[in-house]
Amino acid sequence: MSIGRDGIAGLVLLAISLVLLVKSFQLPSLPIVPVGPGFYPAIVLSLMAAASALLVLQDLLKRRAPAGVGDAPRRNYRLVVIAFAIVGAYVVLLPLLGFRVATVLFVGALQAALDRPRTVRQWVVLATIALGTAAASYFIFERYLLVLLPRGAWTGF
Amino acid sequence: MLDLLWNGLVNIAQWKYLLPLFAGTFIGVVGGSLPGVTITMTVIVVLPFTYGLDPLAGLAAMTGVYVGGSTGGLIACCLLGIPGSPASIATTFDGFPMARNGEPGRAIWLGVWASVWGGLLGALFLVFLTGPLAAIALEFGPWEYFSLFVLAMAMVAGLTESSLLKGLISTAIGLLITVVGHDPIGSVPRFTFGSQFIGGGFPFLPVLIGIFAFAQIMTDLEKLNSPRGQPAQSLVGVKLERFSHLKVNLEIFKQPFLLAWATIVGLIIGILPAIGGSASSVMAYDQAKKFSKTPERFGRGHPEGIIASEASNNANVSGSLMTIMAFGIPGDAVTAVMLGAMTIHGIQSGPLFISQNPDIAYGIYAAYILAHPCMLLICVMLMPLMLRVTSVRMAVLAPVVLVLCVVGAYALNNTMQSVYVLLLFGVVGYVLVKLGFPLAPLILGLILGDQIEINLVRAIMTDANPWLFLTRPISGLLLLAAATSVGLAIWQHWRHQNRMAEEEPDF
Repeated sequence: MSIGRDGIAGLVLLAISLVLLVKSFQLPSLPIVPVGPGFYPAIVLSLMAAASALLVLQDLLKRRAPAGVGDAPRRNYRLVVIAFAIVGAYVVLLPLLGFRVATVLFVGALQAALDRPRTVRQWVVLATIALGTAAASYFIFERYLLVLLPRGAWTGF
Repeated sequence: MLDLLWNGLVNIAQWKYLLPLFAGTFIGVVGGSLPGVTITMTVIVVLPFTYGLDPLAGLAAMTGVYVGGSTGGLIACCLLGIPGSPASIATTFDGFPMARNGEPGRAIWLGVWASVWGGLLGALFLVFLTGPLAAIALEFGPWEYFSLFVLAMAMVAGLTESSLLKGLISTAIGLLITVVGHDPIGSVPRFTFGSQFIGGGFPFLPVLIGIFAFAQIMTDLEKLNSPRGQPAQSLVGVKLERFSHLKVNLEIFKQPFLLAWATIVGLIIGILPAIGGSASSVMAYDQAKKFSKTPERFGRGHPEGIIASEASNNANVSGSLMTIMAFGIPGDAVTAVMLGAMTIHGIQSGPLFISQNPDIAYGIYAAYILAHPCMLLICVMLMPLMLRVTSVRMAVLAPVVLVLCVVGAYALNNTMQSVYVLLLFGVVGYVLVKLGFPLAPLILGLILGDQIEINLVRAIMTDANPWLFLTRPISGLLLLAAATSVGLAIWQHWRHQNRMAEEEPDF
């Protein structure tokens, strides 16, 4: 009997639901109202805890295929981590550099990470798309749709 | 009713509504035709553009995206052999073989015309059935509402492709997200851990955008640069052969039963909560094959396969719109975004929606009807462009879509808080998908969570007897249906496992 990915996920979710379940019992009850603020969360969390426990059990009882069997396509997880990191950096830099500067950098960086340009022409296309996206979205949202986009605390732009 | 519909049509025919509708339909067709970009993602991209618009103009644009996207997907199906959006998956089975047999024009236009007719037939049901359905819902008390929402969630959890347990957990996570923040009765902070960031709860749209857009884009990026990324026999850039629109339409109307049945299948799947167009397309295709006189020709470029799949996925849109307008329950993720957009504009969805906002309700009907000719016009005028658009690279698309997601979250209330929520739930959504948890139940839980709690507490405050949920006839029936749905899912899962065990050789 060994634990798989579902089992670990189930255990994590079980732990979260139990911690929150205890928290929900600690919520104060209200006068007049017959059920307190913890009543409904407790129902949801009990359901989640029960389902998570069953998931762990199901995973433990599952017959596993030997490792290495199957024709799963190769996945590029490195790219996903890089993409998340670039999005994270964009979100951090957005209030510091302002929408226009941060967006040019973000679109350029992510494009380069996903498909590295090899020729000067490809770099020009990349830069054009980065500038174009920032300029077009800024123009449409600020001028026509009256949506104010973030200004940079560092740049004031 | 027809007066109201006529007024709605006249209203939508004004430039201020027609332009967003046309633009939305165009973006929908383009988004639908891009493999890897779903209709949900397209509607998310369009969302921030609707914030500054009149509510009806915004909803018209989204309806256009929905209709356009349901059709646009077929272009990639016929030219690349992979669906442009999941809703047109079954079109690939016959569309691609027909295109490879030298008839790409016939394949694409059969699909476009079948979409138009299926969609317009669906409109009849939308216009005439939504009102009576809402009237039934008006009789509901908090017990019935609670039970209806439970049924909706039980069905979605049970119908997901992965395990029922994961579906249930996913639903619970969705419900849990709505619990964070102040409780709706006494405003007591729950699970905020003293943090200001989550003190006000998680805003619905950034969570939805994060979960859907990131999960989709990041999963697409995994496949980038892999040898399987490019289909082998792409027909992108192909010139369509000469053909007659009249002949294509005759071909569709030669089999009125097929068109009507595919429409009804699409409509029913659309009405059921949170099951998308992909299920309706596959189910209608399957039905068409069962009823066909020539089932052996399916999969080799048979027109019946294309007609069934495309008519049903557009009718599916009308079914989803019916559920959201009559009950306030989204039929799928696209209508979930529409529901979010309505909330931003202060419109309360639910059974009172049509009677309280007849202008908007009939405006949506009208937008849905007019989106079809708009879509047809776009296809006629811009087909050469559409034939090329399918080849736009993910490296260009992903950053642009992500920028629009960030703007969509930020512009909700002009704070970075929503953008942080977006990123947080982007990571959560991706991790859940990788662990095999379905997202549809989570979204439904997220949307219905507040309503479930309010109706539950309201019911108990009205009468403390908990048995009323079972003894009130409609509520009892709904809960029985919910239990049956879960039971059926368990039985199906058990039968599937038994079959697998029988098929496995036991050494």
